[in-house]
Amino acid sequence: MLRLHGIIGQAGDPDLAPLLHHLEHEGGIELLFVPPADLGRKRFRLETDRGTDCAVSLDRNEELADGSVLFLDPERAIIARFGEQQVWRLRPFDQAAALKLGWNAGNLHWRVRFAGDVLEVLLDRPLHEYRARILPLLDSGEVSEAGDV
Amino acid sequence: MNQLAKDTQSKQIAAARLGIGGPVGSGKTAMVERLIPVLMARGIDIAVITNDLVTAEDAERVRRSGLIDPARVSAVEAGACPHTVIREDPTLNIEAADELERRFPGVELILIESGGDNLASTFSRDLTDFWMFVIDVAGGDDIPRKRGPGVIRSDLLVINKTDLAPHVGVNLPKMHEEALKVREGRPVLLTNCRKGEGIDAVVDLIEREVLFRR
Repeated sequence: MLRLHGIIGQAGDPDLAPLLHHLEHEGGIELLFVPPADLGRKRFRLETDRGTDCAVSLDRNEELADGSVLFLDPERAIIARFGEQQVWRLRPFDQAAALKLGWNAGNLHWRVRFAGDVLEVLLDRPLHEYRARILPLLDSGEVSEAGDV
Repeated sequence: MNQLAKDTQSKQIAAARLGIGGPVGSGKTAMVERLIPVLMARGIDIAVITNDLVTAEDAERVRRSGLIDPARVSAVEAGACPHTVIREDPTLNIEAADELERRFPGVELILIESGGDNLASTFSRDLTDFWMFVIDVAGGDDIPRKRGPGVIRSDLLVINKTDLAPHVGVNLPKMHEEALKVREGRPVLLTNCRKGEGIDAVVDLIEREVLFRR
């Protein structure tokens, strides 16, 4: 359990943005998705998208916002995001398609998980923006969408 | 440095606030009376706020119980439907909780018992960090199926008076199963406050989800 108290700042704050940008390239950003029902709560316990168990408390006068930075050190930052994590599940047709899909996902800096023969993409933006990036693979049938987002 | 380390060096973290709601007669005050000794035995520094319509009946009952320093028990008189002071305008309860924190700086957990209400009763997030909804088997095993906001939205649903199930024709396992189903697997615990059964499980959950001790 990682015990966190208080909001350090917002992800867009000028004094935090450079470090967060650096951490993003180093794979050091973890997102804590706060469900709509939990907004306004001053204490909550949730797991980040990478499985870190976070026990969070806020002062009574603090309001969590989308993008609130809850943890920051030279190797890692934890940022609150509102809403449920959307996951886009992609199944490559064969090994060659899997290589192409992996190459695209890596170069696009998508956050992914592996689930058997399915690549799970953790969405931070609208789905159509992701879909547009690999449209040729989808149109050709090399990659298919496995289930609803 | 970790934010928690920085903050705990400089200031006290506010006490957690835990709401207890539910229909009239479901056992909310009995729950408070059972929670107090178990929480204290686990070394948790607590205070209590009770809500009544136009009296301090429940507060007096808890003060006289001998379970807790009477000064740590505050009463809020709603003067109207109980939900008005835990949801629409919880100012009276927030002030009462702030006052308890000022008087008892080390307090870690404040129990806030609502007056008895109906199945639509919910707590404002401005007031509580976590809230439980207490129903009882004698109220009918169809209560979970009715999907009231208290049943659905609470952080913990407690089905109390389990000992009465055979006497009121309630199939308790089925009631429990239906409650878990309508809550999509979120916590549902069974208690018999009269005998103290199931209370440890409630406190275990509070320690994990609210006090972050586990």
